[in-house]
Formats: sequence, structure tokens, C-alpha cells
Amino acid sequence: MAHDLLIKNVSKHYVVDGVRREVLSHVDFAVKAGEFLTILGPSGCGKSTLLRLIIGLDNDYQGDIVLGGRRVVVSGLERGIVFQDHRLLPWLTLEQNIALALANVDWSADKKRSTVREHIALVGLTGYEKAYPHQLSGGMAQRAAIARGLVTQPDVLLLDEPLGALDALTRVRLQEELLRIWRAEQVSMIMVTHDIDEAIYVSNRIVVLQAHPGRVARIIDVELDGPRNRADYAFNELRREVIEAMGEEAEVHHGAALAS
Amino acid sequence: MNVETLTPDARLVLAPGKPQAVTATAVSKGTGGKWIGAILPLLILAAWQAASTYQWIPPVFLPTPLRTLQSFWDLLSRQSFEVDFGISIALVSQAFVYGSLAGVALGVAAGVSKRFEYFLGPTFDTIRHVPGIAWLPLIILWLGVGAPAKILVISKTVFFPVFLNTLQGIRSVDRSYIELGQVLTLTRWQLLVKVLLPAALPNIMVSLRYGAGLAWAFVVVAEGIAGQEGLGFLIFRAQSLLLTDQLLVCMVVIGVVGFTIDRLMFLVQKRALKWKQGFEGRT
Repeated sequence: MAHDLLIKNVSKHYVVDGVRREVLSHVDFAVKAGEFLTILGPSGCGKSTLLRLIIGLDNDYQGDIVLGGRRVVVSGLERGIVFQDHRLLPWLTLEQNIALALANVDWSADKKRSTVREHIALVGLTGYEKAYPHQLSGGMAQRAAIARGLVTQPDVLLLDEPLGALDALTRVRLQEELLRIWRAEQVSMIMVTHDIDEAIYVSNRIVVLQAHPGRVARIIDVELDGPRNRADYAFNELRREVIEAMGEEAEVHHGAALAS
Repeated sequence: MNVETLTPDARLVLAPGKPQAVTATAVSKGTGGKWIGAILPLLILAAWQAASTYQWIPPVFLPTPLRTLQSFWDLLSRQSFEVDFGISIALVSQAFVYGSLAGVALGVAAGVSKRFEYFLGPTFDTIRHVPGIAWLPLIILWLGVGAPAKILVISKTVFFPVFLNTLQGIRSVDRSYIELGQVLTLTRWQLLVKVLLPAALPNIMVSLRYGAGLAWAFVVVAEGIAGQEGLGFLIFRAQSLLLTDQLLVCMVVIGVVGFTIDRLMFLVQKRALKWKQGFEGRT
């Protein structure tokens, strides 16, 4: 069912006050069907911009983004997204929010209902169907957003720093959850993050971007089998490798983050 | 559901199946001490009683509260007050429905399309500044002194606040929601119904409540100026016949009805916006 997603030589620039600013420069990689890939980079490396191109919110770019043999220009339900803010509509209940993604899916009402129910169960929110977003905690709202992203059964789920706004404990739990959901749904996931440990913990491969302009610095395979341990040797080796790829700028950054 | 997978704060926020619990307590907390709203009316009533009993103001100009109450009864039993009352209520309800429907419809259209806003803008902003009172004489020349002229003018009074607030409400919808609609491949109509209108609803509701109050106030004016029926007519007739007690009855009734309309609109607003959690004030 799933297709590879090809990012072929993609560049993007803005013109601000007559000055051309390059955001992405010749970004080129492929996301294999069913893969969990993270895009890691400092702020300003264009990682969120890249997601906007893939989801189809912006089609003003050079190069090609191809999913299932077709060039991406507009949004489509074969691509789902989870934003950093959960972006649930406050006037809809949890189940209505998730069902909204199915508004233009050609299924029977019964199938829609049962699919929504299954996805609420998948993210562990059974019992909260009628709750409004303001009644949910940040972590629960983000789970609901994940369910909404997946309910159309897309080929690819894009995650734009989905855990960035959560506290550390919730964050670690949701990383675990995300892996479980990924295994259950067998969907390709592309997650943007600036958290090195998170990237190593969840993904098969890490695309490291550098900033000004955003470009691929390295693509690192994460070959850790089974449950990953943030404290073991191989994990630390990978962390070192990633930091190296991000360049000195990142080293300072990460050092500061560790110190604080 | 696996409890381990729940975030700790999640379990604090609400128990499964009872998502209302949180808001329910917040609301009940806000209702305490409401009785203080009765203090001022009672004081005013006492002052009225004193002023009339001690004849600080001659009885011709200020009858006692009791005399006024009797007059209310007389009006009801002998002069079919309820008919005039019904006429005024019918007038205001019709005018409110027409004015607010048109206000929401055109407000949405102008909110969605800048072009349409530019098209209407100069005309509407000019019409808006000619008060309803100034429109009435001309409209009466065209339509006569009957209900249609008054309905038209009162609708206009309701229309503008609703129109402007709806437009503003649509314009202030968060861009991120529009993007979400795009990502979910919503059609224009779906975007309007599922995203834009609900997002603008708080603005719209405030203007409906305000518009309902305006309409009621304006009914009295319009009936006072034209026609032979309704509360507005009664109040001006009472003045010219120096029936101050009847005049006061009408004033009190108008005030109480206005108060009731406002509270009803508030309940409607609260119900329509039950998804919204805002600051409810401190008790």
C-alpha cells in the first residue's frame, strides 16, 4: 500500500524586500515505504519549510517531490500531518475533530465511524470521544492530532516537532507511543525535530540538515536493534556522530542544552 | 486503555466519560454572590417610594409604586395592554430575525471576499451613519405607518452591528486553521461551515445580543413616532394625557422585557459557545 517518497533536488527561496534568501538548497533524499525518518537540524535550516512543501501547503519550489509516481503540488489525503501545536478545532469534540479528516473520503458512514473509533483507541484516548480540546492535556491533544493525521490511512505521516511543546516526561512517553503506533500502522513517518536523542530513539534514518541555506549535511543510518537504551554505548556513539554532522554550531548548542 | 500510556496530567484533568466535570465546577463557582444584583433595584424602588410618599415630586409627575402597579392592572384588564405588548414583541422579533440573518449572510460574504467588501463598503458605511430615526420618515412615506416600515428600519438597526462583527469575526480566524482545512482537503463550503463560521461565532453572538437590545429600544421610538399601537405609542399617549402612572408602567415593562431579552440571548450565547473556555471573572 505504501509508496516511497522521493525528494529530488529540491530548492526553495523567498524574496524579501528584493533580496533573494535561499531556504533550501538541492535537498535530495528518499523515504522508503514504511520507514521512520527524522529530519534533524538547527533552527533556520528549513526543516519545517520542507514539510510544508511535502504536505502541499506551498508549491513554489524547484525540483521534484514525488509520492507514488506523482509530483506533489497540492495537499492530499495520502499525506497526513501533525503540527507542533495540536491544531484541534476547539469547537469540535475529539471524535468530531478526527472525523473531519474523513469529510472528503469516499467511505460509508459506518466505516468512517468505526475507523475513527479504532484510531482513538490506537492513540489510547478511548473514553474521551466527547471531550473538547480545552479539556485535554497537551499530551492528549497531541495524541488526538496523531489520530487525525492517521485516520485517512495515508502513505506518509509528517510530524512537525510534534513533541516540542510538551514537558520532558510526557515527551519520552509519547516517543514510545509514536513507535508503537508506527509499528501498528506500517506507515512512513517523517518527523522534524531538533532533539538529537529523540531522533536517534525513534528513527531508522536521520537526515541531518545544516542552515543558511538549508542543505543535507549527512544521512545517518540508525542501526540499533530492539528497544533502544539512551544510556548504552552504541547510542552514545550515534549521538557523537550526529553532533559531528551538525557542525560546530550544534556542538555549542547541544553542550549548552546539556549544561542547563 | 493502558493506564501507563496516559500522561500523568491527563488523569488529573478529567476522569474518562465525564469530560464535563471540570467546566461544571468552574460554572458553579461563578454563580455565587449573584444576589447583590438585586440591591440597586431595591434601593431605587425605596427612593421612588420615598419621593412619592413625601411628595418631593408632585403625584401628577410621580405616582407611588403601588398606584403604578394598580394602573398596570387597569391597563391589562380594561385597555387590553397585552395586545399592544404583543404587537411590539412581534415587531421586534421579526425585525431581529431579518436584520440578523442578513447581517450574518452578508458579513460572511464580505469576510470571505475582499472584493465584495470593497463593493459594499462605501455604500454601507454611508447608510450606517444615517440613523434609523432619520430613515423612518422617508420609509413611512413609501410604506405607510404600518408594521412593514418599522420592521425595515429596526432591521437596519440590527443589521449593521451584526454585519460588522461577522465580517471582523471571519477576518480574525487563525491562519493555521485555514491551513488545516487545506491539509484536510476541505471544500470552500466545508471550510465555511466547519471552520470559519464556528471560529467567528463568538463575535457573531456578541453582536446578536447587542443587536437584540438595540432592536427593542428602537421599537419604542419607532412606535412613538408612527402608528396607533404598541408600547411606544402607549408611552407617548400617556405623556400627552398626563397619565404618568401609565407612562411608568410602560417604562418598567420595557425595561424588564429588555432585561429578559438580554438574559435569554446570554443563555443562547453560552450554549452556542460551550466549547469555549474563557475567563469567567472572579467572585
